[in-house]
Parts: sequence; C-alpha cells; structure tokens
Amino acid sequence: MSVILSIAKTTLGEAIRRKVLLVILLIGVLFLAIAPALEALSPRQELTVLRALTLGIIQLTSAVIAVVLTVYMIPNEIERRTIYTILSKPVRRWQFLIGKYLGAVSALGLMMALMTGIMLLVFVVLRKIEGPAELMMIAKVPFAFFIQMSLLAAVSVFFSTFASPIVNFFLSGGVYLVGTLFDSFFKVLSENSTLNPLVKFMATVIHVIVPNFQSFNVQNSAINPGQQIQAEGLMYLGLSGYAVTYIAILLILGIIVFEYREV
Amino acid sequence: MSLAIETRKLVKSYKSRSGPISVVSNLDLQVEPGEIFGFLGPNGAGKTTTIKILLGIIYQTTGDAYVLGKEAGDIEIHKQVSYLPEKPYYYEHMTGFEIMQFYASLFGIRDADKCKKLLDRVNLGNDMNRPISQYSKGMQQRVGLAQSLLNDPQLLFLDEPTGGLDPIAHIEIRDLILQFRDEGKTVFISSHELSDVERICDRVAIINKGEIVSQGRLEELLIGGRIEITANNCPDTLVAQLRGEDTMVSINHGRIIVDMPDSHSADAMVKKISASGGEIVSVIPRRKRLEDLFLEAVGEDNRAKGRQIGSMTEKEEGDLS
Repeated sequence: MSVILSIAKTTLGEAIRRKVLLVILLIGVLFLAIAPALEALSPRQELTVLRALTLGIIQLTSAVIAVVLTVYMIPNEIERRTIYTILSKPVRRWQFLIGKYLGAVSALGLMMALMTGIMLLVFVVLRKIEGPAELMMIAKVPFAFFIQMSLLAAVSVFFSTFASPIVNFFLSGGVYLVGTLFDSFFKVLSENSTLNPLVKFMATVIHVIVPNFQSFNVQNSAINPGQQIQAEGLMYLGLSGYAVTYIAILLILGIIVFEYREV
Repeated sequence: MSLAIETRKLVKSYKSRSGPISVVSNLDLQVEPGEIFGFLGPNGAGKTTTIKILLGIIYQTTGDAYVLGKEAGDIEIHKQVSYLPEKPYYYEHMTGFEIMQFYASLFGIRDADKCKKLLDRVNLGNDMNRPISQYSKGMQQRVGLAQSLLNDPQLLFLDEPTGGLDPIAHIEIRDLILQFRDEGKTVFISSHELSDVERICDRVAIINKGEIVSQGRLEELLIGGRIEITANNCPDTLVAQLRGEDTMVSINHGRIIVDMPDSHSADAMVKKISASGGEIVSVIPRRKRLEDLFLEAVGEDNRAKGRQIGSMTEKEEGDLS
C-alpha cells in the first residue's frame, strides 16, 4: 500500500505543477469569477442562469482537466524513462498504475475543490444563496461531478495503457460525449424492436459498454429552486457504487493490458 | 556460487511488416559475482534491450535469462538489484532529498539519515534541498547513483553512466563505480566510453546487431598490439597500396599515418613507403586498446554480414538510388 501511496503522492505533486493544467484551471476560475456579469445576457431567470452557468463551467473545465491530466500520464513516464527506475524497484505494474490513477484523481479533486470554493464564494459575496442548506445543496453537485470525472479519468487511464496521447484524447472525449449526450439515444435504439438487428446489436453494445455519464448530472435540483431529489442519499450511494464498479473494471482491464505491454 | 547474470540463447524480436526483426539473437552471457562487466556495442546493438529483459521491463521472445540465480523479472530480485538508465529523468519539482525519499519508499525504507548519507557519498550533501531542475547533468547522474544504492544492491545495472558528462564528473562517477566493486557489488555497465570501460572493467562483451561478437577478460582480449607508422612526402597513390586486412591508412598533405596490427611486418611496410619516396618520421609500437578490439570485432562482424563501418554495401546504395 505504501508503494501505491508514494506513487500517488508523487503524481499529485507533479500534476498540480503542470502548466497546461494550471492554465485550464485558471480559465475555469476566471469564467467562474466573471459569470455573474454574463447573466444579464440571458432573458431567463437570473439565479437559474447563474447557477447553470457556473456549474457548467466547473463540469466542462473538470472534464478537460481529467482528460489532459491522464492522457499523458503513462506515455510521459515511458518517454522520460522514469518508469524504468520505478519498475526496476520492487514495484509491480498494477501498483504503478493504481498509484498513478489515485494521484491523478487526487489532483483532480483538489482542482475541483478550488473551483467549487470559488463558485460558492461568488454566490455568498453576491448574496445569491439563502442559508447554509442551499449552500450544501449546490456544493453536492460538484461532488457528483467529481465522481463522474473520476470515472472519466479511469476511462482515460485505461486507454493510456495502449493508445498514444492524441488518440487517447479523442477516444476518452468521445466516450464522455457519447455517455453524456447520447446514452438515452442508444438506449432507445437498443429497445426498438423494428430496427435492423445489426444496428440494434451495435446500439445495445454501446449502451452497455459506455458508462452512463449523464446520470451524474444532478444539477437540475440546484439550478431550479423548488425541485427536489427523492431519496437523495440513496441516489448518491447508487451513483458512487456505479462509478466504483466501472472504475474497478476499467482499471483491471488497464492492468491486464499494461502487464503485457513492452515499455 | 551462482552467476550474477546468465543468459542462454536469449532472443528478442519484434514483428514488422517485412517479418520479425531480431534485436537480440542467441545471446549467451555470463557475469561473475563481484566483477565489473562492460557491455559494449554500437548504437542499436541491443544493449539496452538486453538490460530491460534482465530487469523484467520487457520480455524475451525465446531463451532464458537469470539474475542472481532467479528468473529475470522476478520481483524478489528487484530488492537486490538497481538500475540507472541512460539519461535518467527525475521529477523536476522534487529536491534531491525528496527524490531519495521517494525511491526509498518504493523499497519500504523510511530512513531519512540513509538518504542523506548516500547523497553525501555522491557529494550532493550541500545541494540536497535544491530542486532537481537546478541540477547539472553530472549532479543528476550522481542522484541517480545515490538512488541506485538505497537498497544496498548486490548487482547494479548502469546504462551509459558517464555519457555526456564533463571530465570531472566523469572521473567522479568512475571512481564511485570502482568503490562499488571494492564493496563486493557486481556492476554491469553498458557504455560507449571505451576508455572508461578499459580502465574499470574486469571482463567485457561486445554486442553487434544483437549478437555477441567478443567476450572475455580484458587482459586476454587485449593481447597483441598495434604499430603506428608516420611518414612525410608520400604520394596519394600510396594509400591504396598500403591498405589491407585490418590496416588503416590516412593521408593529409603528403603526411601518411598507417595503423596496423603488430602481427604484420613493419619492415615490409617501411620499405614500401621508402620505395615510393616517403620519409619515415616514426614507427611506434603500442598496446592494443579496447577501441582497437571494438573496431576489429564490430568491423569483422559487419564485413561478415555485408556491411562496412561508415559505408554502404552495393545493395544499400542500390536501394537508395
């Protein structure tokens, strides 16, 4: 366990110093800070627009960070030969991969916590929140996003065991888009009995394999005052269980590929 | 006592469109415990690939590889070996001391004093709290050596340990490697720095195109010497007459230098030069160097395989045209 934690700690230390990630984070933070000024552009209700906008910024920035953080993780270690000094020690490949993943997720968590903190601060300063209960309600949404991004990072880590960073970027981005925007579409296709069997089969495969990222988009209750999630605790537990299962499967597959990969 | 390293008919090949490409072919190596072993070869000869197989970083296609009596790649072996790769990179945000702590933690070692002592040993005691990004190449190489000693290894793999270093750093690293032998460690060095290898290695193996072309104790391999003849006022046409088996001839403004094995007749060569009007300046016998052995072994192998050093075969020239 100490080996995994050491690798995770080093990965975290390196990730939070990567300039490209800091630039993405800075852009996200800047948008969060100026978001209140943009609300006037929309005719919709001020509060709804502001909350949707800021949460959208956090989600988009986090997704970009999650992918950029992980696509280079394994290829960089190989290119810079750091992997050789590590794997020549009593470190098993699965420990290395899990350590890298945990380090990446920790860095992602830190960056998302920073963005969430800034968003809440903006709300508090501009008096857009009424009391701690509402603050908590909004803060839960980035937590769901964090679980979503941890899953996205696992997708990207899996691809990074065999794909180049550029290919991985598009693969992971594609999986995220399909899982976020088209999951319901593929579900409908897979249940349509009048469809060509081959198309139906393909739709079923995509629907089953691609994680349902859409289910982590729980922002509606926070954006639209008055809406409430039934059995919220159970829902978050279910989401966490779903993500952990998918993450475990992806990491196991990644370990199997990485075990036989020539580095 | 078992060998520190042993390979039997080791083969590593990769698939390509034109068929499998062998990077290592039927490699038989034996490295005794406690010796400094030089593993030499031109670029792309298969040196690093062999080291990676021995460390279990990549896997052989066929054949056997053993390290300290166990199969290469065995995780238990990693507790007793160390590896310093060519041009190592360390996480630049970390200081020398943090790097040591990180690598120590991979062995389960939590001993800050040990890390400091090892950094002192490689003369980095005063710089251990500076980030690696501020270290010179030589300092980074010394950190590499320090981290490779964390587990008090029985066997060290050093890939080009003195490559690209200034003369002072060069000597420091060389001296450290000699100290390792004094401590009873086995050192396996892959290097292009033939003068270093000649000074510190007990035995060497020369690898070319994945195959061992020469292997043995240095004093046995370097038996026999060479003769260097220098003459002035020689005609250019003389070069072709003097060139022969294992004889290198160069000419510059009438000054000719002939480098030949001492088994050849120096008298005959001197007579040929004199007959052409050349004036002999010197005839100097010298001990065979590792460089000579390397050029002979690799040159012979290349000739046997239809390729010359620094020139192309007719086939290759044809392919290009």
